[in-house]
Amino acid sequence: MNALMIKGLLFAAVLIGATIAVVKSMNIDLSDPINLITMIGAVAIAVLTVGVSIKYINQMKTDKAEGELADENWDGIGEYKNELPAGWAYSFLGTLIWAVWYWFVGYPLNAFSQIGQYNEEVLAYNEKFEEVHKNATPEILKEMGESIFLVQCAPCHGETGDGLSGKAQDFTAGRESKEQVLDIIKNGSDQLKYPMGAMPGGMAQGADAEAIAEYVAGGMKGEQPASFGVCAGCHGADGKGNGGTAPNIVEYDQTLVEHVLENGRKGAIGIMPSFKGRLTPVQQKALATYLGSLK
Amino acid sequence: MFHWLEKNPFFFAVGVFIVIAFAGLIEILPNFAEASRPVVGLKPRTVLELAGKNIYMKDQCIACHSQLIRPFKSETDRYGQVSLSGEYAYDRPFLWGSKRTGPDLHRVGNYRTTDWHENHMWDPTSVVPQSIMPAYKHMFTNIADIETAYAEAVTVKKVFNTPYDQPNGTKLGTWEEAQKAALEEAKKITADMKNKDVKDAVANGQIPEIVAMIAYLNALK
Repeated sequence: MNALMIKGLLFAAVLIGATIAVVKSMNIDLSDPINLITMIGAVAIAVLTVGVSIKYINQMKTDKAEGELADENWDGIGEYKNELPAGWAYSFLGTLIWAVWYWFVGYPLNAFSQIGQYNEEVLAYNEKFEEVHKNATPEILKEMGESIFLVQCAPCHGETGDGLSGKAQDFTAGRESKEQVLDIIKNGSDQLKYPMGAMPGGMAQGADAEAIAEYVAGGMKGEQPASFGVCAGCHGADGKGNGGTAPNIVEYDQTLVEHVLENGRKGAIGIMPSFKGRLTPVQQKALATYLGSLK
Repeated sequence: MFHWLEKNPFFFAVGVFIVIAFAGLIEILPNFAEASRPVVGLKPRTVLELAGKNIYMKDQCIACHSQLIRPFKSETDRYGQVSLSGEYAYDRPFLWGSKRTGPDLHRVGNYRTTDWHENHMWDPTSVVPQSIMPAYKHMFTNIADIETAYAEAVTVKKVFNTPYDQPNGTKLGTWEEAQKAALEEAKKITADMKNKDVKDAVANGQIPEIVAMIAYLNALK
Protein backbone atom coordinates (compact mmCIF):
# COMPACT_ATOMS: atom_id res chain seq x y z
CA MET A 1 0.00 0.00 0.00
CA ASN A 2 1.64 3.24 -1.07
CA ALA A 3 1.34 6.72 0.41
CA LEU A 4 -1.12 7.87 -2.25
CA MET A 5 -3.52 5.06 -1.40
CA ILE A 6 -3.38 5.91 2.33
CA LYS A 7 -4.03 9.59 1.64
CA GLY A 8 -6.97 8.66 -0.61
CA LEU A 9 -8.54 6.38 1.97
CA LEU A 10 -8.12 9.08 4.62
CA PHE A 11 -9.82 11.61 2.34
CA ALA A 12 -12.70 9.20 1.71
CA ALA A 13 -13.04 8.59 5.45
CA VAL A 14 -13.22 12.37 6.08
CA LEU A 15 -15.93 12.74 3.41
CA ILE A 16 -17.98 9.87 4.84
CA GLY A 17 -17.48 11.14 8.39
CA ALA A 18 -18.65 14.62 7.40
CA THR A 19 -21.73 13.13 5.71
CA ILE A 20 -22.61 11.11 8.79
CA ALA A 21 -22.09 14.17 11.01
CA VAL A 22 -24.52 16.23 8.88
CA VAL A 23 -27.08 13.40 8.88
CA LYS A 24 -26.84 13.10 12.67
CA SER A 25 -27.07 16.85 13.28
CA MET A 26 -30.20 17.12 11.08
CA ASN A 27 -31.90 14.20 12.88
CA ILE A 28 -32.58 12.45 9.59
CA ASP A 29 -34.56 9.22 9.97
CA LEU A 30 -32.53 6.49 8.25
CA SER A 31 -35.29 3.87 8.58
CA ASP A 32 -37.01 5.72 5.74
CA PRO A 33 -35.76 3.80 2.63
CA ILE A 34 -35.41 6.99 0.55
CA ASN A 35 -33.11 8.56 3.16
CA LEU A 36 -31.15 5.32 3.51
CA ILE A 37 -30.64 4.97 -0.24
CA THR A 38 -29.54 8.61 -0.43
CA MET A 39 -27.06 7.99 2.37
CA ILE A 40 -25.64 4.90 0.64
CA GLY A 41 -25.40 6.94 -2.55
CA ALA A 42 -23.40 9.66 -0.77
CA VAL A 43 -20.94 7.08 0.59
CA ALA A 44 -20.65 5.45 -2.85
CA ILE A 45 -19.86 8.82 -4.47
CA ALA A 46 -17.10 9.47 -1.93
CA VAL A 47 -15.54 6.02 -2.43
CA LEU A 48 -15.81 6.12 -6.23
CA THR A 49 -14.33 9.64 -6.45
CA VAL A 50 -11.30 8.62 -4.46
CA GLY A 51 -10.93 5.23 -6.19
CA VAL A 52 -11.13 6.58 -9.74
CA SER A 53 -8.76 9.47 -8.95
CA ILE A 54 -6.18 7.07 -7.49
CA LYS A 55 -6.41 4.77 -10.51
CA TYR A 56 -5.70 7.54 -13.00
CA ILE A 57 -3.02 9.27 -10.95
CA ASN A 58 -1.19 5.91 -10.69
CA GLN A 59 -1.62 5.32 -14.40
CA MET A 60 -0.14 8.74 -15.22
CA LYS A 61 2.86 7.91 -13.06
CA THR A 62 3.61 4.47 -14.51
CA ASP A 63 2.08 4.20 -18.02
CA LYS A 64 4.30 4.16 -21.12
CA ALA A 65 2.95 5.06 -24.54
CA GLU A 66 3.21 2.19 -27.04
CA GLY A 67 1.74 1.02 -30.35
CA GLU A 68 2.12 1.75 -34.08
CA LEU A 69 2.38 5.43 -35.02
CA ALA A 70 0.29 6.84 -37.88
CA ASP A 71 2.07 8.47 -40.83
CA GLU A 72 0.42 11.80 -40.09
CA ASN A 73 2.43 14.14 -37.93
CA TRP A 74 1.38 17.56 -36.64
CA ASP A 75 4.24 19.81 -35.60
CA GLY A 76 5.95 16.80 -34.09
CA ILE A 77 2.85 15.44 -32.38
CA GLY A 78 2.05 11.94 -33.61
CA GLU A 79 -0.98 9.70 -33.30
CA TYR A 80 -1.26 5.97 -32.60
CA LYS A 81 -3.22 3.69 -34.87
CA ASN A 82 -5.75 2.50 -32.33
CA GLU A 83 -8.95 0.55 -32.81
CA LEU A 84 -12.09 2.70 -32.48
CA PRO A 85 -13.43 2.40 -28.90
CA ALA A 86 -16.40 0.02 -29.22
CA GLY A 87 -18.79 2.19 -27.20
CA TRP A 88 -18.07 5.24 -29.31
CA ALA A 89 -18.33 3.32 -32.61
CA TYR A 90 -21.70 1.77 -31.77
CA SER A 91 -23.07 5.12 -30.60
CA PHE A 92 -21.93 6.65 -33.89
CA LEU A 93 -23.68 3.93 -35.93
CA GLY A 94 -26.78 4.33 -33.77
CA THR A 95 -26.79 8.08 -34.45
CA LEU A 96 -26.66 7.40 -38.21
CA ILE A 97 -29.69 5.12 -38.00
CA TRP A 98 -31.54 7.56 -35.74
CA ALA A 99 -30.81 10.41 -38.20
CA VAL A 100 -32.52 8.51 -41.05
CA TRP A 101 -35.55 7.83 -38.86
CA TYR A 102 -35.68 11.45 -37.68
CA TRP A 103 -35.35 12.84 -41.21
CA PHE A 104 -38.17 10.75 -42.71
CA VAL A 105 -40.46 10.01 -39.74
CA GLY A 106 -39.53 11.80 -36.54
CA TYR A 107 -39.50 15.39 -37.72
CA PRO A 108 -42.15 15.38 -40.44
CA LEU A 109 -44.68 13.12 -38.69
CA ASN A 110 -44.09 13.40 -34.95
CA ALA A 111 -42.98 17.01 -34.59
CA PHE A 112 -44.66 19.18 -31.95
CA SER A 113 -47.16 21.68 -33.30
CA GLN A 114 -48.64 24.43 -31.16
CA ILE A 115 -51.74 24.72 -33.35
CA GLY A 116 -52.09 20.92 -33.33
CA GLN A 117 -51.96 20.84 -29.55
CA TYR A 118 -54.52 23.65 -29.42
CA ASN A 119 -56.85 21.80 -31.81
CA GLU A 120 -56.63 18.60 -29.76
CA GLU A 121 -57.37 20.49 -26.56
CA VAL A 122 -60.38 22.27 -28.04
CA LEU A 123 -61.77 19.05 -29.55
CA ALA A 124 -61.40 17.20 -26.25
CA TYR A 125 -62.95 20.09 -24.32
CA ASN A 126 -65.91 20.43 -26.69
CA GLU A 127 -66.59 16.70 -26.56
CA LYS A 128 -66.57 16.75 -22.78
CA PHE A 129 -68.72 19.91 -22.74
CA GLU A 130 -71.38 18.34 -25.01
CA GLU A 131 -71.29 15.16 -22.94
CA VAL A 132 -71.68 16.91 -19.57
CA HIS A 133 -74.42 19.26 -20.73
CA LYS A 134 -76.33 16.85 -22.96
CA ASN A 135 -79.34 16.91 -20.64
CA ALA A 136 -78.70 20.19 -18.85
CA THR A 137 -81.47 21.42 -16.56
CA PRO A 138 -83.11 24.80 -17.28
CA GLU A 139 -81.33 26.28 -14.23
CA ILE A 140 -77.90 25.30 -15.55
CA LEU A 141 -78.82 26.51 -19.05
CA LYS A 142 -79.95 29.85 -17.66
CA GLU A 143 -76.75 30.28 -15.68
CA MET A 144 -74.64 29.32 -18.71
CA GLY A 145 -76.70 31.63 -20.90
CA GLU A 146 -76.11 34.53 -18.55
CA SER A 147 -72.33 34.14 -18.61
CA ILE A 148 -72.35 33.86 -22.42
CA PHE A 149 -74.56 36.93 -22.59
CA LEU A 150 -72.20 38.93 -20.37
CA VAL A 151 -69.19 38.13 -22.57
CA GLN A 152 -70.65 38.10 -26.08
CA CYS A 153 -73.84 40.21 -25.97
CA ALA A 154 -73.51 42.72 -23.12
CA PRO A 155 -71.19 45.15 -25.01
CA CYS A 156 -74.16 46.09 -27.23
CA HIS A 157 -77.29 44.90 -25.40
CA GLY A 158 -76.12 45.99 -21.95
CA GLU A 159 -75.42 43.87 -18.90
CA THR A 160 -79.09 43.72 -17.97
CA GLY A 161 -80.19 43.17 -21.58
CA ASP A 162 -81.97 46.53 -21.72
CA GLY A 163 -80.35 47.53 -25.04
CA LEU A 164 -78.55 50.55 -23.47
CA SER A 165 -81.34 53.09 -24.04
CA GLY A 166 -82.12 52.19 -27.60
CA LYS A 167 -78.61 51.31 -28.83
CA ALA A 168 -79.64 47.67 -29.37
CA GLN A 169 -82.58 45.31 -28.96
CA ASP A 170 -84.15 45.64 -25.48
CA PHE A 171 -84.75 42.10 -24.19
CA THR A 172 -86.50 43.28 -21.03
CA ALA A 173 -89.36 45.03 -22.88
CA GLY A 174 -90.78 42.11 -24.81
CA ARG A 175 -90.20 41.15 -28.41
CA GLU A 176 -90.28 44.20 -30.75
CA SER A 177 -91.09 47.86 -30.23
CA LYS A 178 -93.79 49.59 -32.26
CA GLU A 179 -91.20 51.41 -34.42
CA GLN A 180 -89.45 48.12 -35.19
CA VAL A 181 -92.68 46.40 -36.22
CA LEU A 182 -93.64 49.36 -38.44
CA ASP A 183 -90.16 49.32 -40.01
CA ILE A 184 -90.44 45.62 -40.82
CA ILE A 185 -93.98 45.97 -42.21
CA LYS A 186 -92.77 48.84 -44.41
CA ASN A 187 -89.50 47.34 -45.63
CA GLY A 188 -90.09 43.61 -45.34
CA SER A 189 -87.32 41.28 -44.24
CA ASP A 190 -85.45 38.31 -45.59
CA GLN A 191 -82.41 38.35 -43.33
CA LEU A 192 -83.14 35.49 -40.99
CA LYS A 193 -83.43 32.75 -43.65
CA TYR A 194 -86.47 30.96 -42.25
CA PRO A 195 -87.98 28.20 -44.45
CA MET A 196 -90.94 30.49 -45.19
CA GLY A 197 -88.60 32.78 -47.15
CA ALA A 198 -88.60 36.55 -47.58
CA MET A 199 -91.32 38.79 -46.15
CA PRO A 200 -92.24 41.43 -48.74
CA GLY A 201 -92.54 45.07 -47.67
CA GLY A 202 -95.84 46.93 -47.51
CA MET A 203 -98.16 44.04 -46.62
CA ALA A 204 -100.23 46.45 -44.51
CA GLN A 205 -100.60 50.20 -44.73
CA GLY A 206 -101.67 53.21 -42.70
CA ALA A 207 -104.07 52.55 -39.86
CA ASP A 208 -103.91 48.78 -40.41
CA ALA A 209 -100.13 48.78 -39.99
CA GLU A 210 -100.45 50.99 -36.89
CA ALA A 211 -102.99 48.62 -35.37
CA ILE A 212 -100.80 45.58 -36.05
CA ALA A 213 -97.72 47.30 -34.65
CA GLU A 214 -99.59 48.34 -31.52
CA TYR A 215 -100.87 44.79 -31.04
CA VAL A 216 -97.51 43.03 -31.66
CA ALA A 217 -95.51 45.51 -29.56
CA GLY A 218 -97.98 44.97 -26.74
CA GLY A 219 -97.12 41.27 -26.65
CA MET A 220 -100.25 40.21 -28.63
CA LYS A 221 -102.55 40.61 -25.69
CA GLY A 222 -106.16 41.72 -25.88
CA GLU A 223 -108.33 41.70 -28.96
CA GLN A 224 -106.63 40.81 -32.22
CA PRO A 225 -107.08 43.50 -34.91
CA ALA A 226 -108.71 42.14 -38.07
CA SER A 227 -105.71 43.30 -40.11
CA PHE A 228 -103.49 40.80 -38.26
CA GLY A 229 -104.88 38.10 -40.56
CA VAL A 230 -102.25 38.99 -43.16
CA CYS A 231 -99.50 38.30 -40.59
CA ALA A 232 -101.10 35.16 -39.24
CA GLY A 233 -100.67 33.51 -42.66
CA CYS A 234 -96.96 33.01 -41.95
CA HIS A 235 -96.37 33.86 -38.28
CA GLY A 236 -99.41 31.88 -37.11
CA ALA A 237 -102.54 33.16 -35.39
CA ASP A 238 -100.70 33.00 -32.06
CA GLY A 239 -97.63 34.75 -33.59
CA LYS A 240 -95.33 31.89 -32.61
CA GLY A 241 -94.12 31.30 -36.16
CA ASN A 242 -95.91 28.10 -37.15
CA GLY A 243 -93.48 25.72 -35.46
CA GLY A 244 -90.29 27.32 -36.71
CA THR A 245 -91.16 28.04 -40.35
CA ALA A 246 -91.34 31.81 -39.72
CA PRO A 247 -89.95 34.05 -36.95
CA ASN A 248 -91.71 33.98 -33.60
CA ILE A 249 -93.02 37.51 -32.99
CA VAL A 250 -94.22 37.00 -29.41
CA GLU A 251 -91.15 35.72 -27.60
CA TYR A 252 -87.51 34.77 -28.03
CA ASP A 253 -87.58 31.05 -28.71
CA GLN A 254 -84.61 28.86 -29.49
CA THR A 255 -85.22 28.82 -33.26
CA LEU A 256 -85.29 32.61 -33.38
CA VAL A 257 -82.08 32.96 -31.34
CA GLU A 258 -80.36 30.41 -33.58
CA HIS A 259 -81.42 32.21 -36.76
CA VAL A 260 -80.34 35.65 -35.51
CA LEU A 261 -76.98 34.33 -34.27
CA GLU A 262 -76.41 32.59 -37.60
CA ASN A 263 -77.37 35.46 -39.92
CA GLY A 264 -77.06 38.64 -37.90
CA ARG A 265 -79.68 41.29 -38.46
CA LYS A 266 -79.99 44.86 -39.67
CA GLY A 267 -83.15 46.63 -38.54
CA ALA A 268 -84.61 49.88 -37.31
CA ILE A 269 -82.11 50.14 -34.44
CA GLY A 270 -78.85 49.17 -36.08
CA ILE A 271 -76.76 46.23 -37.21
CA MET A 272 -76.05 43.03 -35.36
CA PRO A 273 -73.17 41.00 -36.81
CA SER A 274 -73.48 37.27 -37.43
CA PHE A 275 -72.12 35.08 -34.63
CA LYS A 276 -71.90 32.06 -36.90
CA GLY A 277 -69.68 29.32 -35.50
CA ARG A 278 -68.90 31.18 -32.29
CA LEU A 279 -71.33 29.27 -30.05
CA THR A 280 -72.01 25.53 -29.81
CA PRO A 281 -75.61 24.23 -30.06
CA VAL A 282 -75.76 23.80 -26.27
CA GLN A 283 -74.57 27.38 -25.78
CA GLN A 284 -77.19 28.69 -28.22
CA LYS A 285 -79.87 26.81 -26.31
CA ALA A 286 -78.54 28.26 -23.06
CA LEU A 287 -78.62 31.77 -24.51
CA ALA A 288 -82.23 31.28 -25.67
CA THR A 289 -83.18 30.07 -22.18
CA TYR A 290 -81.56 33.12 -20.61
CA LEU A 291 -83.19 35.59 -23.05
CA GLY A 292 -86.55 33.96 -22.41
CA SER A 293 -86.09 34.60 -18.70
CA LEU A 294 -85.36 38.33 -19.11
CA LYS A 295 -88.80 39.65 -20.00
CA MET B 1 -6.35 21.76 -48.14
CA PHE B 2 -7.19 20.58 -44.59
CA HIS B 3 -3.55 20.78 -43.51
CA TRP B 4 -3.46 24.32 -44.81
CA LEU B 5 -6.66 25.21 -42.88
CA GLU B 6 -5.27 23.70 -39.70
CA LYS B 7 -2.23 25.94 -39.96
CA ASN B 8 -4.38 29.08 -40.54
CA PRO B 9 -6.79 29.44 -37.63
CA PHE B 10 -8.38 32.62 -39.06
CA PHE B 11 -9.42 30.97 -42.33
CA PHE B 12 -10.40 27.86 -40.43
CA ALA B 13 -12.78 30.02 -38.34
CA VAL B 14 -14.16 31.59 -41.52
CA GLY B 15 -14.76 28.10 -42.94
CA VAL B 16 -16.54 26.95 -39.79
CA PHE B 17 -18.70 30.08 -39.86
CA ILE B 18 -19.69 29.49 -43.50
CA VAL B 19 -20.63 25.84 -42.88
CA ILE B 20 -22.75 26.62 -39.80
CA ALA B 21 -24.34 29.69 -41.40
CA PHE B 22 -25.31 27.63 -44.45
CA ALA B 23 -26.90 24.95 -42.27
CA GLY B 24 -28.79 27.67 -40.40
CA LEU B 25 -30.01 29.33 -43.58
CA ILE B 26 -31.45 26.16 -45.13
CA GLU B 27 -33.28 25.45 -41.86
CA ILE B 28 -34.58 28.95 -41.17
CA LEU B 29 -35.26 30.55 -44.56
CA PRO B 30 -37.80 28.07 -46.03
CA ASN B 31 -39.79 28.11 -42.78
CA PHE B 32 -39.68 31.88 -42.68
CA ALA B 33 -40.77 32.23 -46.32
CA GLU B 34 -43.62 29.79 -45.71
CA ALA B 35 -44.88 31.58 -42.61
CA SER B 36 -44.76 35.09 -44.07
CA ARG B 37 -46.64 34.17 -47.25
CA PRO B 38 -50.04 35.86 -47.42
CA VAL B 39 -52.96 33.59 -46.52
CA VAL B 40 -55.22 32.64 -49.43
CA GLY B 41 -57.69 35.40 -50.30
CA LEU B 42 -55.84 38.13 -48.38
CA LYS B 43 -56.27 41.56 -49.97
CA PRO B 44 -54.28 44.70 -49.23
CA ARG B 45 -56.20 47.39 -47.33
CA THR B 46 -58.09 50.16 -49.11
CA VAL B 47 -56.92 53.75 -48.84
CA LEU B 48 -59.65 54.61 -46.31
CA GLU B 49 -58.73 51.62 -44.14
CA LEU B 50 -55.06 52.59 -44.32
CA ALA B 51 -55.98 56.11 -43.19
CA GLY B 52 -57.81 54.48 -40.27
CA LYS B 53 -54.77 52.35 -39.52
CA ASN B 54 -52.63 55.49 -39.39
CA ILE B 55 -55.06 57.03 -36.87
CA TYR B 56 -54.86 53.77 -34.87
CA MET B 57 -51.08 54.27 -34.74
CA LYS B 58 -51.25 58.03 -34.18
CA ASP B 59 -53.63 57.75 -31.22
CA GLN B 60 -51.62 54.80 -29.85
CA CYS B 61 -54.44 52.27 -29.67
CA ILE B 62 -51.62 49.70 -29.64
CA ALA B 63 -50.66 50.83 -26.13
CA CYS B 64 -53.76 49.07 -24.75
CA HIS B 65 -55.00 46.79 -27.54
CA SER B 66 -53.25 43.82 -29.14
CA GLN B 67 -54.00 42.33 -32.55
CA LEU B 68 -52.87 38.78 -32.06
CA ILE B 69 -55.05 35.90 -30.94
CA ARG B 70 -53.01 33.12 -29.36
CA PRO B 71 -53.87 29.42 -29.65
CA PHE B 72 -55.65 29.00 -26.31
CA LYS B 73 -59.29 28.02 -25.98
CA SER B 74 -60.06 30.87 -23.58
CA GLU B 75 -58.79 33.29 -26.20
CA THR B 76 -60.42 31.84 -29.30
CA ASP B 77 -63.76 31.59 -27.44
CA ARG B 78 -63.69 35.31 -26.86
CA TYR B 79 -61.88 36.74 -29.87
CA GLY B 80 -62.32 34.19 -32.67
CA GLN B 81 -59.94 32.09 -34.75
CA VAL B 82 -56.21 31.92 -33.95
CA SER B 83 -54.14 34.57 -35.77
CA LEU B 84 -51.88 33.32 -38.57
CA SER B 85 -48.66 35.09 -39.52
CA GLY B 86 -49.75 35.20 -43.18
CA GLU B 87 -52.68 37.44 -42.25
CA TYR B 88 -50.30 40.32 -41.54
CA ALA B 89 -48.43 39.97 -44.84
CA TYR B 90 -49.51 43.38 -46.16
CA ASP B 91 -49.47 45.23 -42.82
CA ARG B 92 -46.52 47.59 -42.74
CA PRO B 93 -46.00 47.67 -39.82
CA PHE B 94 -48.13 44.94 -38.26
CA LEU B 95 -49.76 46.01 -34.99
CA TRP B 96 -49.52 42.90 -32.81
CA GLY B 97 -49.02 44.91 -29.66
CA SER B 98 -47.94 43.36 -26.39
CA LYS B 99 -50.29 44.89 -23.84
CA ARG B 100 -53.93 44.10 -23.23
CA THR B 101 -55.42 46.76 -21.02
CA GLY B 102 -58.34 46.54 -23.45
CA PRO B 103 -59.42 43.48 -25.41
CA ASP B 104 -57.72 42.07 -28.50
CA LEU B 105 -58.90 43.67 -31.75
CA HIS B 106 -57.59 41.33 -34.45
CA ARG B 107 -61.10 40.16 -35.45
CA VAL B 108 -63.19 42.96 -33.96
CA GLY B 109 -64.86 43.46 -37.36
CA ASN B 110 -66.59 40.11 -36.88
CA TYR B 111 -68.49 41.03 -33.73
CA ARG B 112 -68.79 44.82 -33.50
CA THR B 113 -70.53 47.13 -35.95
CA THR B 114 -70.34 50.70 -37.23
CA ASP B 115 -73.04 52.03 -34.89
CA TRP B 116 -71.41 50.35 -31.89
CA HIS B 117 -68.02 51.91 -32.66
CA GLU B 118 -69.71 55.29 -33.09
CA ASN B 119 -71.28 55.10 -29.61
CA HIS B 120 -68.14 53.64 -28.09
CA MET B 121 -65.65 56.17 -29.48
CA TRP B 122 -67.89 59.07 -28.47
CA ASP B 123 -68.38 57.80 -24.91
CA PRO B 124 -67.05 54.33 -24.05
CA THR B 125 -68.94 54.07 -20.74
CA SER B 126 -72.26 54.51 -22.57
CA VAL B 127 -71.93 50.97 -23.89
CA VAL B 128 -69.42 49.37 -21.50
CA PRO B 129 -70.17 50.82 -18.04
CA GLN B 130 -66.87 49.74 -16.42
CA SER B 131 -64.71 50.83 -19.34
CA ILE B 132 -61.59 52.86 -18.55
CA MET B 133 -60.99 53.70 -22.20
CA PRO B 134 -60.88 57.47 -22.83
CA ALA B 135 -63.40 59.04 -25.21
CA TYR B 136 -62.08 59.88 -28.68
CA LYS B 137 -64.39 62.79 -29.52
CA HIS B 138 -61.69 64.58 -31.50
CA MET B 139 -61.98 61.83 -34.12
CA PHE B 140 -65.45 63.15 -34.98
CA THR B 141 -64.08 66.56 -35.99
CA ASN B 142 -60.49 65.90 -37.17
CA ILE B 143 -60.25 65.23 -40.88
CA ALA B 144 -58.49 61.99 -41.90
CA ASP B 145 -55.27 62.20 -43.91
CA ILE B 146 -56.29 60.30 -47.05
CA GLU B 147 -53.38 61.72 -49.04
CA THR B 148 -50.71 60.15 -46.83
CA ALA B 149 -52.57 56.84 -46.84
CA TYR B 150 -52.67 56.90 -50.65
CA ALA B 151 -48.97 57.79 -50.85
CA GLU B 152 -48.15 54.86 -48.57
CA ALA B 153 -50.25 52.48 -50.64
CA VAL B 154 -48.49 53.60 -53.84
CA THR B 155 -45.13 53.20 -52.13
CA VAL B 156 -45.72 49.65 -50.94
CA LYS B 157 -47.16 48.77 -54.35
CA LYS B 158 -43.98 49.99 -56.11
CA VAL B 159 -41.37 48.95 -53.55
CA PHE B 160 -42.75 45.69 -52.12
CA ASN B 161 -45.03 44.66 -54.99
CA THR B 162 -48.06 44.67 -52.71
CA PRO B 163 -50.79 43.42 -55.05
CA TYR B 164 -52.96 46.50 -55.54
CA ASP B 165 -54.89 46.85 -58.82
CA GLN B 166 -55.04 43.09 -59.42
CA PRO B 167 -58.19 41.46 -60.82
CA ASN B 168 -60.68 40.88 -57.95
CA GLY B 169 -58.32 42.69 -55.60
CA THR B 170 -58.17 46.08 -53.95
CA LYS B 171 -58.19 48.89 -56.50
CA LEU B 172 -55.80 51.77 -56.00
CA GLY B 173 -55.73 53.69 -59.30
CA THR B 174 -54.78 57.35 -59.64
CA TRP B 175 -55.03 59.86 -56.78
CA GLU B 176 -58.33 61.21 -58.15
CA GLU B 177 -59.82 57.70 -58.44
CA ALA B 178 -58.60 56.77 -54.97
CA GLN B 179 -60.07 59.95 -53.47
CA LYS B 180 -63.42 59.19 -55.05
CA ALA B 181 -63.34 55.54 -53.94
CA ALA B 182 -62.48 56.53 -50.36
CA LEU B 183 -65.42 58.95 -50.30
CA GLU B 184 -67.77 56.26 -51.64
CA GLU B 185 -66.59 53.86 -48.96
CA ALA B 186 -67.01 56.56 -46.32
CA LYS B 187 -70.59 57.22 -47.45
CA LYS B 188 -71.46 53.54 -46.99
CA ILE B 189 -70.20 53.76 -43.41
CA THR B 190 -71.95 57.04 -42.55
CA ALA B 191 -75.23 55.51 -43.77
CA ASP B 192 -75.09 53.42 -40.57
CA MET B 193 -74.00 56.35 -38.38
CA LYS B 194 -76.10 58.86 -36.46
CA ASN B 195 -73.75 61.80 -35.78
CA LYS B 196 -75.02 64.67 -37.94
CA ASP B 197 -71.71 66.58 -38.17
CA VAL B 198 -69.95 63.49 -39.48
CA LYS B 199 -72.69 62.79 -42.01
CA ASP B 200 -72.59 66.42 -43.20
CA ALA B 201 -68.81 66.42 -43.50
CA VAL B 202 -68.86 63.29 -45.67
CA ALA B 203 -71.70 64.69 -47.77
CA ASN B 204 -69.44 67.73 -48.35
CA GLY B 205 -66.59 65.53 -49.50
CA GLN B 206 -64.54 65.50 -46.28
CA ILE B 207 -63.80 62.35 -44.30
CA PRO B 208 -63.60 62.72 -40.50
CA GLU B 209 -61.11 60.46 -38.72
CA ILE B 210 -63.88 58.42 -37.07
CA VAL B 211 -65.08 57.18 -40.47
CA ALA B 212 -61.61 56.00 -41.50
CA MET B 213 -61.15 54.46 -38.06
CA ILE B 214 -64.43 52.52 -38.31
CA ALA B 215 -63.53 51.41 -41.85
CA TYR B 216 -60.29 50.00 -40.46
CA LEU B 217 -61.91 48.36 -37.42
CA ASN B 218 -64.64 46.80 -39.58
CA ALA B 219 -61.94 45.42 -41.88
CA LEU B 220 -60.19 43.65 -38.97
CA LYS B 221 -61.61 40.18 -39.51
